Amino acid sequence: MKGYRKYFGKKILWFLITLVAAVILNFILPRLMPADPVSAITGKMASGMTDASAVQEIYKRYEAEFGTNKPLIQQFFIFVKNLFHGNLGTSFSQYPRKVSNIISSAIGWTICLQLPAILVGWLLGNVLGALAAYIRKGFDKVLLPVALFMSNVPAFGMAVTLLVLFAVKWKIAPIAGGYAFDMIPNMSWRFLKSVISHYQLPFWSIVLVSIGGQAIGMRSMSIYELNADYVKYARFLGIKDRKIVGYVFRNAMLPQVTGLALSIGTMIGGALVAEIIFSYPGLGSTMYSAVTAADYPLISATTLIITIMVLVVTFLLDIIYGFIDPRVKAAQFDA
Amino acid sequence: MKNTLRQVFHSSKFLVGFIIFALILLTVWLYPLLINPGNPLEMIGVGTFAKPGTYVSLYDAVNTRTETLRLPDADDKRVAYLLSDADRVAMIEWFGIMDIDVSELDATDTDALLDLWFENYDPAIKPKGMTQARRNFFKRLDKSIRQIRSADTLKVMHPEEDELVERSSITKTDYVNVGDVANVKLLPLGTDNFGRDVLKELVSATGTSIVIGLIAGVVATLIGLTLGLLAGYVGGLVDDVIMFITNIFTVIPSFVLLILISYSIGQEQRGASVVALVIGFTSWTWTARSVRSQVISLRNRDHVNLSKLSGHSLVRIIVTDILPYIASYVVMAFILQVSSGILSEAQLSLLGLGPKTTVTPTLGLMMNWAMLYSAHTNGSWWAYFPVILTITLISFSLNLMNTGLDQVFNPTLRD
Amino acid sequence: MGKVILEVRDLKTKYVTRFHEDVYAVDGVSFQIEEGKSLGVAGESGCGKSTLALSMMGYYFPPLHYISGDIIIDGKNISGMDPDTVRKTILGTEIAYIPQAAMNALNPTQKIIRFVEDVIRAHDPKADKKEIRERATARFAELGLPKDVLDKHAVELSGGMKQRTVIAVSTILSPKVLIADEPSSALDVTSQKMVIKMMRELMEKGYIKSMLFITHELPLLYNVTDDIMVMYAGQIVEKGTAKEMVFDPVHPYSHGLMGSILVPEEGTRGSRLTAIPGTPPNLKKPPQGCRFAERCRYATDECRYHAIAEKPFGEGRSYRCLRSVDQLREVYENE
Repeated sequence: MKGYRKYFGKKILWFLITLVAAVILNFILPRLMPADPVSAITGKMASGMTDASAVQEIYKRYEAEFGTNKPLIQQFFIFVKNLFHGNLGTSFSQYPRKVSNIISSAIGWTICLQLPAILVGWLLGNVLGALAAYIRKGFDKVLLPVALFMSNVPAFGMAVTLLVLFAVKWKIAPIAGGYAFDMIPNMSWRFLKSVISHYQLPFWSIVLVSIGGQAIGMRSMSIYELNADYVKYARFLGIKDRKIVGYVFRNAMLPQVTGLALSIGTMIGGALVAEIIFSYPGLGSTMYSAVTAADYPLISATTLIITIMVLVVTFLLDIIYGFIDPRVKAAQFDA
Repeated sequence: MKNTLRQVFHSSKFLVGFIIFALILLTVWLYPLLINPGNPLEMIGVGTFAKPGTYVSLYDAVNTRTETLRLPDADDKRVAYLLSDADRVAMIEWFGIMDIDVSELDATDTDALLDLWFENYDPAIKPKGMTQARRNFFKRLDKSIRQIRSADTLKVMHPEEDELVERSSITKTDYVNVGDVANVKLLPLGTDNFGRDVLKELVSATGTSIVIGLIAGVVATLIGLTLGLLAGYVGGLVDDVIMFITNIFTVIPSFVLLILISYSIGQEQRGASVVALVIGFTSWTWTARSVRSQVISLRNRDHVNLSKLSGHSLVRIIVTDILPYIASYVVMAFILQVSSGILSEAQLSLLGLGPKTTVTPTLGLMMNWAMLYSAHTNGSWWAYFPVILTITLISFSLNLMNTGLDQVFNPTLRD
Repeated sequence: MGKVILEVRDLKTKYVTRFHEDVYAVDGVSFQIEEGKSLGVAGESGCGKSTLALSMMGYYFPPLHYISGDIIIDGKNISGMDPDTVRKTILGTEIAYIPQAAMNALNPTQKIIRFVEDVIRAHDPKADKKEIRERATARFAELGLPKDVLDKHAVELSGGMKQRTVIAVSTILSPKVLIADEPSSALDVTSQKMVIKMMRELMEKGYIKSMLFITHELPLLYNVTDDIMVMYAGQIVEKGTAKEMVFDPVHPYSHGLMGSILVPEEGTRGSRLTAIPGTPPNLKKPPQGCRFAERCRYATDECRYHAIAEKPFGEGRSYRCLRSVDQLREVYENE
């Protein structure tokens, strides 16, 4: 039990350290750049204005909001303090909406879309990879190149392809959005049905993209395990092949949990871009509109939230893995 | 070395990947040189999204010598082309009003549609509940249908002084040879939203994107290799510090850093090479980690110890005793980084954070333009689908090569 | 003479490589083991002794293939049986195997007791879980293994403990023949002793009736087994009792091999350490004459062209050489 506590302690410590690093980076990167973000923003806001004092006014207001007139270290503490209060500033493009407000209305869509999609893609990919490794021969020969090709279709490419085929050409799915545009979110059946039908295309495009890579990883992992000594030994004790295959897949699948933890950052990146294609009301689209409108506070906040999401998921996967794989237990807990 | 290369090219996966990639490179190099030189961003069209195909100058065609051909199905084809979908729907609507069973009728079967129309349309009928305006609409429709069928000629007028004088007329049986027309333009992939030749742009964009991938790959590999070598070989505090940083950057998603940095640089400063550098700077962590672990396992091998005892310098030991052993690995990591660099550029551009839009096209920018102008919802597949296919093929070929190399260098994975 | 438990007659098997080449790793091996006896197999690595162990299980999977010969256990010929019958009725119950790399022989993510369940149920699907546990606990205690081993994962056990666990699990169904392929080679001296003690106990307590012990460590064989046979290039070159083989080897190869042993009791023979120069022949194309001829100090041209059969001599001994026993002994005397 002491070993467990040590393992968790270590993981939590790492989580906190990376979190702090992420916050610092999020704060410092834009400020390291030669161009002063406030003047850039003011320039955009004030384009078309002729009154110099009005421009000056705008500049002062944003300078105060960002605190860029204070020393860097003081700015950082203001930034952190605001962060703790959930205050992420005010959006430029959707003035006077609070950034935290915009984010909180988008984050649910993203989590409900991407988490299940990535998990389903991961599961399906592993099952296919295991089958390919076990059956080999024709199945392997057909499936592997297909999986390899599929895993190289960029997420946005898959999104566009599905969109064009199912929504534009065959018209069996809606083109854009998270629900029908003439509806107001509520708890009715009609709304729920609309949400589900809008969910399909983004969901499956993420699933399809993640299957390939996982299948390939699982396949080589399984082949490696199938050649392991314990397979031979179990066979010589008269254990049925089907049972042994069970051992192999369990052992091959467990490291795939870590694989998922390591690739989740990249996967979410692709999936966010896929959101834009479907105008899905999640963080990806929020970020896109923030970039096009040069809404600095919103960009900064979305990147921070996405980082935190990835950190949390990675942390959880690490913890789960520690529980389910006795190999980690032996290596980490007793050390 | 020679033996290794032979082994590598014996791997069918590597070979297929290599051939695809080489063909892409060859196209990028030869197409603008031999087939279609000039500025890829030149706006040759004024409208948006011209369909792929061969374009014949109408003006020149009119002035080209004609030949008379009596093709039996010419009339039908012409009618079928001119009868719009809306017209067909309206005709079927009329049949519905006249209580004619249209369940068997195929709206694309022009002949059957017209036969039924001439049988059943009578301008004198006044269906109940139909407004005058609608009745007039059907009258006009009938007239235009009959006009299509009639054997009119087109008059070519010659502006002379104050009045138009007929110069010649074009009958329906006049044909010109495409080879005789002075201006014919082949646009295999049509034009994009700005009226630019998509194929020409695509070839140029592929080149730029591959360069971006290469720069990003070189930068990432150099940083990763240096840090990995230092951490692995020197060890101790240096190792701890480097690994601390590497671990942090492994968990923080690199595309978030990419977005932050790209946004901070600003649109004006973002050339293709700057974007490539930024991508390289955010994707070195994997190389660093794995180079480190490989170096640690090499560090205490006999030949390295021997070099150390002989008093060779750090640089020499690394270059002669360590690098050759991790070279295959570094090459594989580099290939993967090139492919992910190309993908990163595309994703950044889709977010609107790609390279400056006016200098060179990249695959990501083409995709971004196509999406901005709704190519995907208005049916202009040629503006985005070739781009997706190109990105997929490049990264597919690179990954195939990588899998092939992996099988050669990691025999446990062989089948 | 006791009852013969295991008889192997002219067994031939081969490996098929990735490039579809045949490697004749066991090429006409015959021997027998009586009840309560143990037989040691010695030879350099690559001589086919591990392949012999695999071939004797009567259960073949690629790349190993059966060619011809008989394996008779307690009067039952298993070599022609259908694989599934072998799996159900022979493996584990009649003949059991202890692998070379016992370190990796146990599935790392499975508890030992689960594996014992799988082994027993592979032969008796209706076996009750509780009974299995009782049986396993009793047997583990009998063999001096700590009782908490059953509820651990393989990764949590030390190397020596893993090897002893493997031995206990292999013999849980009291097989008639136990084949141990270098069971102690990778262990430290203490663990090695415990493993040897355990093997003796298995024999004494009647859990196994006979044993084939394969090793490259000759002194170990002298201490553990009753008889020894020496293998070279897929064939047996000499057979005899442990004492005869160590103190009076006849075949030039066994002579050379034994020459490298340090035997504490006698001292005189061990004073000279010799190594045999050269490498074993390529078994893809075995030489037509004596397989040892290329490395033999006493070989003549005749040796290279005459295939040599096993020749019996003394009390149940045999050897495979063109020269007579007396000739050979004389040559050794004069050195």
